[in-house]
Amino acid sequence: MQVEDKTLELLQPLNLTVTAGESLAIVGSSGSGKTTLLSILAGLDLPSSGQVYLKNQPLHQFNEEQRSQVRAQHVGFIFQQFLLINSLTALENVMLPAELANLPDAQARGEALLSQVGLADRLDHYPSQLSGGEQQRVAIARAFISKPDILFADEPTGNLDSKTGQHITDLIFDLNAKEGTTLVLVTHDAKLAARCQRQVEMDSGVLTERLDVAAQTTQHSPEAETLVPQVG
Amino acid sequence: MSNLNSKASSMWFAQSLRLLHHELRRGELTIIFLAIVLAVATVFSLTGFSGQIKHAIVANSTNTIGADRVLRMSSEIDPSFIKKSQELSLKSARKIETESMAFAGDNMLLSELDAVSDTYPLRGELRIKTSLTQTESMVASAPKVGSVWVEPSVLSRLNVNIGDTIEIGLAPLKIAGIVTDIPDRSYRAFIAGPTVILNIADMPKTELIQPGSRITYKYLFAGETDAIETFETWIKPQINESQRWYDAKAAQNRLSRILDTAEKFLSLASMLGIVLAAVAVAVASRRYGQRHQSTVSVFKALGASISHVRKLYCLHWTLLSCLSIATGLVVGYGLMLLGVNAIASYLSLADAPLTLVPFLTAIFTGLLCAIAFAIHPIMTLVQSSPLNVIRGFSQNKVARFGWHQLPPLLALFLLLFIFSQDLVMSAALLLGGIFVSFILLLFGRGLMSAGRSVGTKAGKSWHLALANLKRRASENSVQLVSFTIAIKLLLLITVMKSSILSEWEQQFPEGTPNHYLINISEEQIAPLKQFVEQHDIANQGFYHVYRGRLSAINGIKTVDEEKDDSQEPSEATSASKEKQATKKAEQQKSRQGMGRELGLTWRTELPEENEIIAGQWWQVDDDKPQVSIESNIAERLEINLGDDLTFTLGSDEFTVPVTSIRQVNWQSRQLNFIMVFNQSVLEQFPTTSISAWSISDQDRDRVYRFMADFPTITLMDFAAIMEQLNNIIEQVSVAIQLILILVVLAGSLVLIAQVQASMEERERELAILRTLGASGKLLRNSILYEFVALGAIAGLMASIGMEIAVYILQSQVFNMPGSFHFQYWLVGIGAGAFFVGSIGMLSCWRLLNLSSVTLIRRTM
Repeated sequence: MQVEDKTLELLQPLNLTVTAGESLAIVGSSGSGKTTLLSILAGLDLPSSGQVYLKNQPLHQFNEEQRSQVRAQHVGFIFQQFLLINSLTALENVMLPAELANLPDAQARGEALLSQVGLADRLDHYPSQLSGGEQQRVAIARAFISKPDILFADEPTGNLDSKTGQHITDLIFDLNAKEGTTLVLVTHDAKLAARCQRQVEMDSGVLTERLDVAAQTTQHSPEAETLVPQVG
Repeated sequence: MSNLNSKASSMWFAQSLRLLHHELRRGELTIIFLAIVLAVATVFSLTGFSGQIKHAIVANSTNTIGADRVLRMSSEIDPSFIKKSQELSLKSARKIETESMAFAGDNMLLSELDAVSDTYPLRGELRIKTSLTQTESMVASAPKVGSVWVEPSVLSRLNVNIGDTIEIGLAPLKIAGIVTDIPDRSYRAFIAGPTVILNIADMPKTELIQPGSRITYKYLFAGETDAIETFETWIKPQINESQRWYDAKAAQNRLSRILDTAEKFLSLASMLGIVLAAVAVAVASRRYGQRHQSTVSVFKALGASISHVRKLYCLHWTLLSCLSIATGLVVGYGLMLLGVNAIASYLSLADAPLTLVPFLTAIFTGLLCAIAFAIHPIMTLVQSSPLNVIRGFSQNKVARFGWHQLPPLLALFLLLFIFSQDLVMSAALLLGGIFVSFILLLFGRGLMSAGRSVGTKAGKSWHLALANLKRRASENSVQLVSFTIAIKLLLLITVMKSSILSEWEQQFPEGTPNHYLINISEEQIAPLKQFVEQHDIANQGFYHVYRGRLSAINGIKTVDEEKDDSQEPSEATSASKEKQATKKAEQQKSRQGMGRELGLTWRTELPEENEIIAGQWWQVDDDKPQVSIESNIAERLEINLGDDLTFTLGSDEFTVPVTSIRQVNWQSRQLNFIMVFNQSVLEQFPTTSISAWSISDQDRDRVYRFMADFPTITLMDFAAIMEQLNNIIEQVSVAIQLILILVVLAGSLVLIAQVQASMEERERELAILRTLGASGKLLRNSILYEFVALGAIAGLMASIGMEIAVYILQSQVFNMPGSFHFQYWLVGIGAGAFFVGSIGMLSCWRLLNLSSVTLIRRTM
């Protein structure tokens, strides 16, 4: 990455394949390059060199418009900061990706999803009228509405207390199982990572596959880690 | 210690300067700077310009009346007056003013006639040129007998040259030169015909003066102060209601009152723009305060004292204010020079000095904008807690009503008061302004919400745009109000210029008079009657007209408002009754007398288009003196059936009872009279007659040829009167256009300031949409449509406002049925959508040009 006249090397050469239907956690400390990797995987950002394929489509060769189209058709997102649009109601926020992908029944599906995440009575509320947990539930409903092939979640519980976070985690994995979506999850929360089938660790831009998942989980104290600020 | 202090003080000074330099370069202060410049430049140019005009016209001492004192009357002077003035060795001159036709071959022109005696003018200079190539004009007195001096436009409009002969009434007169300066010129000449000056000795030859003709006689006196004052003491008790005695100061006072009113109107109207500029300052400074919170908190966390921070930002703001005000003064001076240049042909302002007043007013306005509207955000900024460094910063706190809104309101009130010099008016305008804004705000919000529900089905960009519009409704309301007002002004000018007048003209039925004949002598009536019968020209018959004043009601003298009659348009004909109607509102101020001469007539039968609503019309043979009065006037002057009205005709006075009250259809363009008497009252007075004809296009040439045999009759084409009306509207719309430009500029500044304030949030939204896979087109369109919708809503509200204003004009001023102007709604909505859309897109330019990767990186 070129910043002014210095070159920052954020990611070392790496190879990662995610197969359909699997769930993968990318773990690592702040600044390790997790979010950058996720941005590239999702077609939000481009690697300065290398190749990225999503559903066999070469993202690295696509321009912005083409990548947008790919995202609209195949990708769902859940973010740490929820990232809802403040001028739209809960239902409209959920409907948005379906409308962008020109899917039929956006409204019916949105309502159904919101009721699945327990917000059936908050359809017309604006984000400012919802709590953090409720906003993240709206974001989850939004992520699933377009029946994405792959769902990217960036620290989905990072801004929530542990109880709400647990509830959100359950929701994500339940819906994921129900819809059969591929899940790529970025987190430094070992408990959350442990619920995924695969874990890879990012350290200073170097990616390593973690094989002994169970042993790692016990060594990490989630309370200690939440104090570390996030750098995206 | 003192060394340390001075070091500390120089440090905050240096930091302050650095801050200003840095912020100006980054463009963070541009809006505030421009808004203050706009307010200061507007106030300076307006105040400076009108001050100079006033000075040029008013301060030129005695020149404006051509004498020390003038006696103005509608009949010849009592010879004893002249005798007395000669005894006191006063100089005197005579002047007769009237309107008449000037003929040259087939061309004719309605012109102002000034017949002057050889001694004219007694004070000031009459300047002429005897050839068109002459560069320097020369001082002159009356033209030689048999010759005239004319204003330049007479030459072009009659297609004649110096040396040619024109006919005034029955007298052929040679053009001996063109006049460049008339010391006692009437400023009414701006709208009336061009002036022709002839020698008073030629007046009888013209045969224009008939009994009852509308003639103004002026007697000019000048001499030693003592003698003049003695004469004044002697003459004043002998002057009756139909005569006026005045000096230069009185004449100037009248003129300056008119100028004051115009100035007041313009400055109060421009307040609209200044208020918007101030709002732009408020919006921009709020964002400025929020952006600097972190800087201040870090400063404080690092140990800077509150007084240090306060000094730093106060100086910073003061420097910014001074810079903006100074720039505003320079720009304002430039604008003023443009104005001076534009009117140079009417009035030379070269010698008029620039007083301190415009400087002080403009600087004060600038300071009010810079301080009153920014004090709250700046004070909040200075108070920022160092704890924020840890706790985080509150962004975009919703503005609530509170004490901090008091300084801006007080400042507004103060500004209004400075411009109006009227406490009640300022309070009324402030409250009225708040009320109107409130109504517009409610209405606009309603429309924005309605658009939101409709928009749910209207495609995705529209949907996002309308959702944003609704979400930012409170911020948008300010822009909405300003653009609504601007577009309404624009529509009003357009409709007034292109529609109302022509609609008004078209609504008259066929056979409505389109020519008025004035100054018809008794022996001319018979041939004219024969002519109209022979050629079947629709006409309204011939009315004798007498000029008289209502001097007492039931024996109680009427009080006339101090008013310069010469500023009023002529009202002898029905044509000018419309003008009277436009003045109705002004006259509605309950005034005891009519304040001017009336055209009186007698009739045996009730005129057409008149209806008796109280009392009874007289029998043909009833020779008991009586009068029938028009109902509106009766109501206004509180005159009832049976009241005794006293009239003064020249030196005669008579009293008659009111026996009927008539309703008159003023909009019919027929000859109508306020006071109609029975024959016996007026019969004995000599007079001339007037008539109104409806002349078709094919008859026109025949009529004009026929009328050339009667040069003493003034033939007024209604089209010419319409042209005068158009001229007035043209002048009014120039003033409105100035206000329009100002409001548009200030409104745009507010819009840009609001967009800047919402920039972070817009960036975030675009990033989310981009992430979710929205195309670039959708993003661009959602922003474009948001502003287009805002502009269209403003246009819609403006169109409704315009329709209401036009309806009021039509029903109150033009007395015509209301009509809709839907084609202008399209203009209003289109103009609003286009303009606000463009400004909005321009101010989001940077945002739209960010690559989505950058957008996403910034937000994630």
